[in-house]
Amino acid sequence: MMASMVANGNRDGQSLVLKGVDPETCMIVFKNHWAQVVKILEKHDPVRSSSTLPSLSVINLSAGFSGGHRFGPVPGDEASAVQNYVEHMLFLLMEEDSGQAGAMGPILEFVVMENVMERLFVWSLRREFTDDMKLEQLKMYEMLVGQAQQPLLHHKPILRPLMMLLSSCSGTTAPQVEAELVLLLNLLCCVLAKDPSILELFFHTSEDQGATNFLIFSLLIPFIHREGTVGQQARDALLLIMSLSAENERVAKHIAENTYFCPVLATGLSGLYSSLPMKLEVPSEEWHCLHRDDWLQMPSLVQFLNSLEFCNAVIQVAHPDIRDQLVGYIYNGFLVPVLAPALHKLTLEEVMTTTAYLDLFLKTVSEPALLQTFLSFILLHQHESVHILDTLVSRINTPFQLGTVSLALFRTLIGLYCEDVMLQLILRYLIPCNHMMLSQRRVVGERDCYSVSTAKILALTPSCCSPDHSPPPLRQLDSILFSKGAETPNNTSATEENESFLEEDDGSGNSCTIGSEVYLDVSYLHYLYDARLSISRCIRACQVWSAPYDGENPPPEKYQPGVLEEPGLKSRQTQMAFKRVPLPPAPRPRPPPNTEPPSITQLELEWDDTYDACPMQTAEAPVERKPPQEPLAEPPKHIQEMRKTATMLVKGSYIEENEFQDDVKVYDLVAKTDAREVEHGKKKSNGSESEETQPGSAEVPLKNGLSLTPPTPVMADKNSLDTKGKGQTDCNSHLQNATHAESGDDLLAQYEELLRTLDTEAGKKYVKPEGELKKAVTTAREAEEEEEEEEMDFTAFSAETPEPEKLHSPFGVKFGGGSASRSQSAPFTGPFVSVLLSRLENMPSNSLHVNLLLTGILAQLAAYPQPLLRSFLLNTNLVFQPTVRSLYQVLAIVKNQIEEQAATRKDFPELIIAAQHWLLARETSFMATDTSGSRRSTHGEAGRMLKNSPTPKPKAISLDRTEVFATVLFTEFLKELAAIAQEHSILSYIPMEE
Amino acid sequence: MNLNPFWSMSANTSRKQRSDGEDQSGHGEQRASPARLPFGKKQLPPIPKNAAPITKPVSTGTPAQSANGTHASYGPFYLEYSLLAEFTLVIKQKLPGIYVQPSYKSALVWFGVIFIRHGLYQDGVFKFTVYIPDNYPDGECPKLVFDIPVFHPLVDPVSGELDVRRAFTKWRRNHNHIWQVLMYARTIFYKINTTEPLNPEAAVLYEKDVQLFKSKVVDSVTLCNSHLFDQPKMDDPYAISFSPWNPAVHEEAKERMFTCKRRPEDHHKGMQVSGLSWVKPGSTQPFSKEDGPPQS
Repeated sequence: MMASMVANGNRDGQSLVLKGVDPETCMIVFKNHWAQVVKILEKHDPVRSSSTLPSLSVINLSAGFSGGHRFGPVPGDEASAVQNYVEHMLFLLMEEDSGQAGAMGPILEFVVMENVMERLFVWSLRREFTDDMKLEQLKMYEMLVGQAQQPLLHHKPILRPLMMLLSSCSGTTAPQVEAELVLLLNLLCCVLAKDPSILELFFHTSEDQGATNFLIFSLLIPFIHREGTVGQQARDALLLIMSLSAENERVAKHIAENTYFCPVLATGLSGLYSSLPMKLEVPSEEWHCLHRDDWLQMPSLVQFLNSLEFCNAVIQVAHPDIRDQLVGYIYNGFLVPVLAPALHKLTLEEVMTTTAYLDLFLKTVSEPALLQTFLSFILLHQHESVHILDTLVSRINTPFQLGTVSLALFRTLIGLYCEDVMLQLILRYLIPCNHMMLSQRRVVGERDCYSVSTAKILALTPSCCSPDHSPPPLRQLDSILFSKGAETPNNTSATEENESFLEEDDGSGNSCTIGSEVYLDVSYLHYLYDARLSISRCIRACQVWSAPYDGENPPPEKYQPGVLEEPGLKSRQTQMAFKRVPLPPAPRPRPPPNTEPPSITQLELEWDDTYDACPMQTAEAPVERKPPQEPLAEPPKHIQEMRKTATMLVKGSYIEENEFQDDVKVYDLVAKTDAREVEHGKKKSNGSESEETQPGSAEVPLKNGLSLTPPTPVMADKNSLDTKGKGQTDCNSHLQNATHAESGDDLLAQYEELLRTLDTEAGKKYVKPEGELKKAVTTAREAEEEEEEEEMDFTAFSAETPEPEKLHSPFGVKFGGGSASRSQSAPFTGPFVSVLLSRLENMPSNSLHVNLLLTGILAQLAAYPQPLLRSFLLNTNLVFQPTVRSLYQVLAIVKNQIEEQAATRKDFPELIIAAQHWLLARETSFMATDTSGSRRSTHGEAGRMLKNSPTPKPKAISLDRTEVFATVLFTEFLKELAAIAQEHSILSYIPMEE
Repeated sequence: MNLNPFWSMSANTSRKQRSDGEDQSGHGEQRASPARLPFGKKQLPPIPKNAAPITKPVSTGTPAQSANGTHASYGPFYLEYSLLAEFTLVIKQKLPGIYVQPSYKSALVWFGVIFIRHGLYQDGVFKFTVYIPDNYPDGECPKLVFDIPVFHPLVDPVSGELDVRRAFTKWRRNHNHIWQVLMYARTIFYKINTTEPLNPEAAVLYEKDVQLFKSKVVDSVTLCNSHLFDQPKMDDPYAISFSPWNPAVHEEAKERMFTCKRRPEDHHKGMQVSGLSWVKPGSTQPFSKEDGPPQS
């Protein structure tokens, strides 16, 4: 066979031989061969003896197959004779150089004149056009196109039979033919990319055939999502055409208007997605996202990612029309109809799996336009009237893997440095500046010149972890010399002054050398370095943002909550997609799965009241609900569903928690709660008009079982409580809020509510002695204020002022926001912040990995340079509204929890050391194996603690000792935050240069 | 300027260079900074005249708990960053004719030079050193000592120390910053104040015989400028030193300074981190930009 011969033959040898041959001779040989061939052809097909053929459309080709035997079979010897002649002829053609000034060589000219190629193709059809023959012909053209010394495709008599051949292969199913076809198409695209002038010919040729399509392109489309080499070659070829389209309006227009390229691409994603596993097997509790090693094990996911990356690449190179169309189809053909329902499946595992997929997709996509599509889906799309974003945020608080995976997703999201994401998650709640006292607005942009916040953050270091207490091997205090060398010219006066400041002064009256040699915490230097990198990167990235978010721009007055939350901004993609393209042939959004509320009886059986805070009842008894007034008031069913599932699961594994009730601590706590009840009882009953809440009554905490933390803010929202709070049968003041939330129009509040109950269920292993903590926070605040210099103008906010307000809302500090947030525009820093802080508050009971993610997210947030965000997270001097919880407050609560733990357990210091060793060993193993760097930022800390220490002897410590690990992590996290605060004081003020 | 002092200031912080470049007055050039000395024994800089050195044996390295409950081992970080913050403020102020550079050995000592461009002290180039108390910002105000005592009512004729305290009776953290001291040092040469002088002779002359005062000032300026190329008073790699114009050394550096002014944006191509934003300026709605997706 000629092609195989070509493939096997020694081409160099051949060409060497031919090179020496005189072109005249070659021509003569060629003509002779052709004459022989023609004889045979005409013998079997007298009708088509002429060299000009009627146009042969694609449709006719199929008729050709059946008519193949009309003139009787071709004898085998004749067929092989033709074969041999043709082989030689093709060699001669291939090796011929182009003539003078780019003119055709004589053989080529002859081929064109005699229409050799077309007649040969028809001869093939004349015989039985088997897959083998297609393969042969494809290889023949591949050889010609790839190896010819002169451009061949410019000539219609060559191009046309090629196109006919290609279209005759269009329906093929034989893998070999497919492979060869795609290879040839790929080759043609390469030629096209090099010489776009041929493009016109490709179009014209198509037109001749009665079809206006761009054949090589259309032929490639079915292979878009194919796996393996064929798919890859097809996608590569398509990408070549895509980049052609960027410059060629005609190609772009054709692809966008006349092909199914974009819909095929987008809906293909949907198809591939449906073949992904619905539930992932979670390798370990630590697992929180799909790493490369994970997905490489899953062929279906590899295939999906290939296609997604292809979309990404197309969007990168293609003409804007194609890009916009594709993006629209992905939005309307994949994200909305497929991914949105998948994110709202009923079981935790399924939802967790989808979340992990979404996280992976976001990491895969790099092209801004495609990212924008995904992000606008996450931020703006509403599934059953709930924003995807709100749903995702609420899941941070779900127990088990879903919460962890959700955290990982947000880690990815905030790592994009995307203004839109940050705006929706946090900034829009901060813009109105309602979270701080009015006069504090001017403080927003202030820099912390003297590391005051840093010092305060570091002062939260638990006593058991103070550098002084750590044993030498773990806390290597390299003797970095901080030499002051400050010799003041007139020392006597300086010393006098100094004496009052320096406690270490030995009284000799001539010392100003404190710290002239101080052993520094070396790990802190690493944190400073990392903070510097992280902040600079963030500052640089945020240069493209539209506003500085400094408390002045955007102006707080202009964007009060009502303005910010105005609905009706439709996704750009949606509009665009509807405008530009017909609705994709994609499945329409299905009706929400299982919208009917499950029967009450069933729920009662499944719902464990012990863990149930009262607001749950509204969710359990939807029958009692008043019909929603507005569509917006539709309760987020998916959250209820999720919560139910979660709780059912939780129930099983939380049985042991019952033992917890026997713990002395509970009584301790009850006592404390009582004390607080007494203290605030009056105000509380005033505010809530609850029938039941009696000062001093121990009933509330007992009744709530484990939900010892009052889960709702009792805001001074008297009006609404007055009107809505009455007539409730429940005894607990929580219900009013819940009811309020439910009957009100505040979706946000509702789901905050639900979220909170989830939180309560989600495993409060640790009791929060709120009264004490609050005291601690208050004292801390008082201490702060004492420290303040008079010129700080904090007099207006001395400890006395906020106190009455605090009394009004005993839980305000704990739960900022909530039901009243919208109606009264009470200070609320948004669900994301509040959910993060509430998880952080549980640090001692969180698993190590959750804490690593949490602290990683918070550290990343803290690195953002926007003064609103920076001041909210890091400025410990800023005076917030009493109902707003700050990061510092939560850290103080965690510190107290830790101190309490440490005080009650004798072996705590020992355990701390074991945990440090364990973390260190883990870190070292990561350094060795994991070079991807994806985890570096979240737990580099342990490794920084010591690099040169002797090999740690890991003592046995169970990961279940979450409080021990949390203590170590907390200490490191404080340093990380402190370092970030310190670097901000320098970096954020230097114009971005360097 | 009759001397055209192209002074070379050994500098390493690029920030400082920038502030130099932004000012039009000096054609500074930068010499490769000396190799970092290894951390080792504390090396005290030469003690200025008049200063009674306190040499107390260095206390042991045991971290001590400081007053506010944080660990003393972080104290140096706070101090260092406070001073860094001060320095960034100085850069931000772009004080005309003033250059400062923290010493290599201690962030508490800053070297500086001030160019006087008009007035009685016109053409004066005064080198000075700023000493910051090590309990900064809670101590006294920093001291500013001219290398050569300038003839001025507020400058001590022997020690060269400027009377800073009259402007900063009490150093108030958050309100007082080192740039203000530098600013003040510049102001005294333009607005002469004679109350409670450190140099009574100068004060009296200014009041009684301005002509004589003026001629003394000219003498003083000449004296200072004649010592311009002297070795720095302090042996510190970052001390400011001047050298006569040497085309072989300075011309190229000068060229570079002027061409580098328009820095190309592709400085960070290596670690290109680009943020994303589809928020229309003036809006707080996500994806509010009407134009299509941004080109990368």
